[in-house]
Amino acid sequence: MKKIALLFFILVSYVYGYTYNKLLLKAQASIFPKIIMLDKKLYEKLVDGKIVYTIVYEKNDYYTASEIGRFIEANYKNASTKYAYKINLVEFSEFSSETEATAIYVLNSNNQVQELVDYAKKKGIITFAYDINYLKSGFLFSLMLEKSAVIYLNKDNLNSNKIDFVDSLYQIVNFLDKSSG
Amino acid sequence: MKRNILFTLSRRSVMLLMLYLTSLGAQSNDLLESISSEMKQFNEVATTTKQNENYQPYIISVFQGEELEKLGVLNLKEALLLVPGIDMTTDNFNNQTPIFRGSNSLSYGQSKLFIDGVSVNNLFFDAYSEYLSFPIEMIKRIEVVRGPGSKTNGINAYAGSINVITYAEDFKGFESSDKLVFKYGSSDYKMGGFFKTLKTDELKLFIDFFYQEDDKKLPSGPDGLSRGVLGASNIPLSRSGDAPVWLKDYSLGLSLEYKDFSIKARMLEHEKGSAYGINLALPQDSDRVKLPSYYLDLDYDKKIGDFELNIDAGIKYDAFDSYSKLAPDDLNLSNIIFYDGIYGEHFAAQRTLYHSFYIKYDGFDKHTITTGYRLIREETIDMISKLSNRATGDVELVDYSDTLPFFDKNAKRNIFIFSLQDEFWLNNNLSFIYGFNYEETSYKDAGVEPRVSMVYQLDAENIFKAIYSRSHRNTSWQEMFTMNNLARVGNTDLQPEIVDAFEAAYIKKISNDSHVKTNLFYLLNKDQIYNSSTSPEYKNAMDSDIYGFEIEYKGNISNLDQLYLNYSYVTGESYIKDEYRSESLSNVAHHLAKGYYIYNIGRKLSLSTTVKYVGSKSRVSGDTREKVKAYSTFDTAMRYKNIKHNFSLTFSIKNIFNSTVKFPSAINTYLQDYEQERRTFLVTLKKEF
Repeated sequence: MKKIALLFFILVSYVYGYTYNKLLLKAQASIFPKIIMLDKKLYEKLVDGKIVYTIVYEKNDYYTASEIGRFIEANYKNASTKYAYKINLVEFSEFSSETEATAIYVLNSNNQVQELVDYAKKKGIITFAYDINYLKSGFLFSLMLEKSAVIYLNKDNLNSNKIDFVDSLYQIVNFLDKSSG
Repeated sequence: MKRNILFTLSRRSVMLLMLYLTSLGAQSNDLLESISSEMKQFNEVATTTKQNENYQPYIISVFQGEELEKLGVLNLKEALLLVPGIDMTTDNFNNQTPIFRGSNSLSYGQSKLFIDGVSVNNLFFDAYSEYLSFPIEMIKRIEVVRGPGSKTNGINAYAGSINVITYAEDFKGFESSDKLVFKYGSSDYKMGGFFKTLKTDELKLFIDFFYQEDDKKLPSGPDGLSRGVLGASNIPLSRSGDAPVWLKDYSLGLSLEYKDFSIKARMLEHEKGSAYGINLALPQDSDRVKLPSYYLDLDYDKKIGDFELNIDAGIKYDAFDSYSKLAPDDLNLSNIIFYDGIYGEHFAAQRTLYHSFYIKYDGFDKHTITTGYRLIREETIDMISKLSNRATGDVELVDYSDTLPFFDKNAKRNIFIFSLQDEFWLNNNLSFIYGFNYEETSYKDAGVEPRVSMVYQLDAENIFKAIYSRSHRNTSWQEMFTMNNLARVGNTDLQPEIVDAFEAAYIKKISNDSHVKTNLFYLLNKDQIYNSSTSPEYKNAMDSDIYGFEIEYKGNISNLDQLYLNYSYVTGESYIKDEYRSESLSNVAHHLAKGYYIYNIGRKLSLSTTVKYVGSKSRVSGDTREKVKAYSTFDTAMRYKNIKHNFSLTFSIKNIFNSTVKFPSAINTYLQDYEQERRTFLVTLKKEF
């Protein structure tokens, strides 16, 4: 019986998925790629001349991650943007210093994300998170649907040597610093 | 050489950088404009769909239809039983009514039900029990506001309001699939329904339809004759047995949108067993009550610069249509013996016409002003009152519509409402809404009803709200115009029930998808309407002070699951005017706790458990029966979704442990309380296209 229960939970953990807010996912997938293009040092982060938007997910959120990827690809397929977009889907467990990224967007994870954050900070990769709580772990941006839609930026996590946004971006974001955490 | 190359590269880089920065400057304005525009668009969708519910200036809980389907929820009634502070009550018609925060459990109309924004409370009872069986698969979302604080646009919610949103709601990029549903369950319950959207560039047509029936019976008795409701000589005729609470209804809904115009229409035919008898004598299995509800609503919505114009007009029809055996064989009324019992046919049809005009202006910095009026004309358009011959005791029906009507066939009421509201954003974190409704009717007026609310967002995680609002409930048709009836006597001199509500709320956002919400409420209810078998005329009998709190958690334990829990406490005191005395709240459960847990086994399979606890209820003064006992129910459901073929199969068992669930019967009616269904099952097959 114990074995059956164990097998059940192994299977469960293999296929489960978090219940994300679909509207929030869509809002983030619409707005975050545009924020990347407001970085004055974006040209330093291009991979083969392209913006690589890396979505990091837990294995069981693969469907959600690929849906987001498809949505962004469809948005930028025929768009007259300066650089082409490439979507890169990477599992949390497979993320490494070899992972290509201009920007990283993370879905929820039960595991520590500190290694990923440190790497992104060092390389000057722009980081976005589904959940605002990740900003306390070192991510840069999140977006919430409050009384109005609000972009949050944790300015303490900003490596200004590597990332330099146009000033007008700072007028439309809400800052979250250590004191808010 | 190397130096030259480096110099050339460096110069090229600088040139590229300069070129990039120049083009970025031009591009960034477009990008920022695009981001702002998209944020505005997502904000509109979030506000309309109440996904930013925590920031709204009222106490609200929102339930998504898809999530309720996973729980095996059958219909609107079962969904409402999950809401904090809401309990259910019933009466001898089985006219089930949600009770919000313990507010006057003996009257209807304490809350309003809206289907896609159209108020559907019937005029006869001011109730909406005919919509409680609305299948959950037809519902996209349920928004429940506790307290009166939700409306200043001419529709008064007294203790709360329920907004049911069907899949007619549609946003670009969030379109719903067409759906076909079949259900089968206990009591030979059968249901079939579908909805479909047809679209062209400018025109959108949405149709939903369902049919459902069951043959449910519930144990009951001894009936009201045992308490002498038809005279002491008839007490021996009292019976116990199965009360017919069967259901047969169908509904056709239509929504049409063309440019700035929209039409919403629904035809609901609702028929049910006569339950516990309109004269409190256990009826026959085939005896029935029909409560049809039709509406047609025309709407024009136009944005012109800083102005937004809304013009609305509509017509509603509802009826009370009963045909049943009202008293058993050999009944003796004033020495006339009804050897074959008394039969009766009672029919009263009502029509409501309404029109409203509202204008919103947001041209002032930090202010959005809304003002307008609403006109309502309510009237009875047909009435039939037939009974077995009262003079001879002969069973054949005699038309007493003119000589001894059960209802005033000339019942009419006009209502005029004016409202003004300002939403003021002091800054990004603090906003206020203040305004008032003013109402005049052709009977007693509610007058001016102010409202002030504040929402303060301390930071991303902490939100505070404070609300004061006054609202009223206009007297229902039944309370005003019933006549020639031993149990109910209408009174057109009734004042509207008035409530002054003070509410404060705190919301802690734990993450994007989880939160804890708490609120305190203090409700000063005045002129609450009440009647009883010993005093059948409706009166503004009592004032009640009600207070309590609600706490609600939504979140998850792991990435696998969803957890929802709530607890509510209510208490208070009623002052009985005629008797110059006070008593504690009766027929109200002081403690309610509800929750569910969904375990998502991938996108294909989910398991869930729903738990509900309803505390005991004390009786009204003079009712010597024991308290209504507390009960708990446990439900479970399993849902399989086939992604390839886009269908789902749900199997659920309700009340697994077969608990006894009883709703209180009124004093001197049925001796025993109204027992509800025990363990039941339900199978649902849903196909999406």
